[in-house]
Amino acid sequence: MAEPPRHLLTVRDLRKAFAHHEVLRGLSIEVDRGSVVAVIGASGSGKSTFLRCLNYLEVPSSGEVWVDGVPMGFSLAADGRRQPDPPRELARKRAALGMVFQQFNLWPHLTALQNIVEAPMRVKGTARREAEAEGLALLRKVNLEEKAREYPARLSGGQQQRVAIARALAMQPKLMLFDEATSALDPELTGEVLDVMRGLAGEGMTMIVVTHEIAFARDVADRILFLNDGRIEEDGPAAQVLGAPASEACRRFLARALH
Amino acid sequence: MFEALSQSLDPALFWEYRQTLAEGLLRNIAVFLLGAALASAIALGVGLARMSRFRALRAVAVGHTEVFRNVPEYVLLVWLHYVVPILLTKAAGARITFDPFFSAVLALGLAYSGFLAETVRAGILSVPTGHVEAGRALGMPGGVIARRIVAPQAARRMLPEALNQYVSLFKATSFISLIAVEDVMYRVAMVASYEMRPLPLYTGAALIYCVVIITATTTIRLLTDRWRRRGWV
Repeated sequence: MAEPPRHLLTVRDLRKAFAHHEVLRGLSIEVDRGSVVAVIGASGSGKSTFLRCLNYLEVPSSGEVWVDGVPMGFSLAADGRRQPDPPRELARKRAALGMVFQQFNLWPHLTALQNIVEAPMRVKGTARREAEAEGLALLRKVNLEEKAREYPARLSGGQQQRVAIARALAMQPKLMLFDEATSALDPELTGEVLDVMRGLAGEGMTMIVVTHEIAFARDVADRILFLNDGRIEEDGPAAQVLGAPASEACRRFLARALH
Repeated sequence: MFEALSQSLDPALFWEYRQTLAEGLLRNIAVFLLGAALASAIALGVGLARMSRFRALRAVAVGHTEVFRNVPEYVLLVWLHYVVPILLTKAAGARITFDPFFSAVLALGLAYSGFLAETVRAGILSVPTGHVEAGRALGMPGGVIARRIVAPQAARRMLPEALNQYVSLFKATSFISLIAVEDVMYRVAMVASYEMRPLPLYTGAALIYCVVIITATTTIRLLTDRWRRRGWV
């Protein structure tokens, strides 16, 4: 594997075990720039762990993750040997992947705008004035400009999640990871979040979306992965995976999810 | 009895000794402030040590917390003031004594560091892991997350409880006359025996404590209510 991969995201034989339980059993995918990949599967199939291993919130037990030609978790020395990344370097690499969580995870002691500018200012060293101007532009993009000075407690779940998306975008990530971004929302609030995600996809953002929203996956994703028991059992265009899945587990999952 | 009490609240006598009593109260406040600062500093260290990666450090912190939460303040005060100097004298081979003021600050500081360490730990643990993960996902190094995400939230969550501990600490300063710190109770006892009129003076001392503490707790309640309304704590 001398050559850095040319895809935006390359995952090779990713494995993750907690204690003696193997959650991911060797996942490999390649994702092109600008594509939207939906990841579906039953609870416990490893979807979230997969996503969390991509940005190394969980360190994989083995396997490789490359983002835009840069390996996560290690660096290649001049002689081709691998050196593990020190925490600071890993933190820097992690910023290339934006992540949106099921529970939003906005920081309650900061206003919407402060949530957004915190990382650009502290990590990239962006000047406050500039970071705030960009932050306001991002809030406008998610239709929340008028909520810039509100604390998260005063925002609805859907609004909080849109702020969280803006916060992730503020680091100008190359790739966005969505971990069941609408699962914690009341049904009437999922639409506004899905609309923002649809907009991002339309702008060409590369996205990996773990979701229960099969309809959203069908409409927006270029490609759907079906995970079962820590393995990718289906990988193809929405029409193929949702319409004519080869795997029995996928057929059963879809039958349950769609009825 | 009520007649006796109303006669006993002799403001003139109080006024006569106002300076002596005020100086005593200042002594209490000084012990309180230094004790609170000492307790907070130790508590921060011990509270963090309880969450250390190193087992030995955690064990020491647990030991500290258990000892000082469970020994009554009064016993600790007397033991520190009378017993520790004897031990030190034997160890050093030279006579060592503690100034009562020093013993009072040390004893109350240590006693309350145990309670406050628990408050610190609970405050830090109350910050959801998701908030830390959000910081990590954005590329924040550990130090930035600790300072900007965890510390401000933990401080707000521990503040109401810590303020209650400080109120208890202030109440506990009423013991320090027992090792002859010349605080308000010490002076009240002195004047009472001099004037041979314990009723007005002890009643006055009780009122002083009531006024100080009710003022403090009311302020705390108003502050924490406001923080709650803003969703901070």
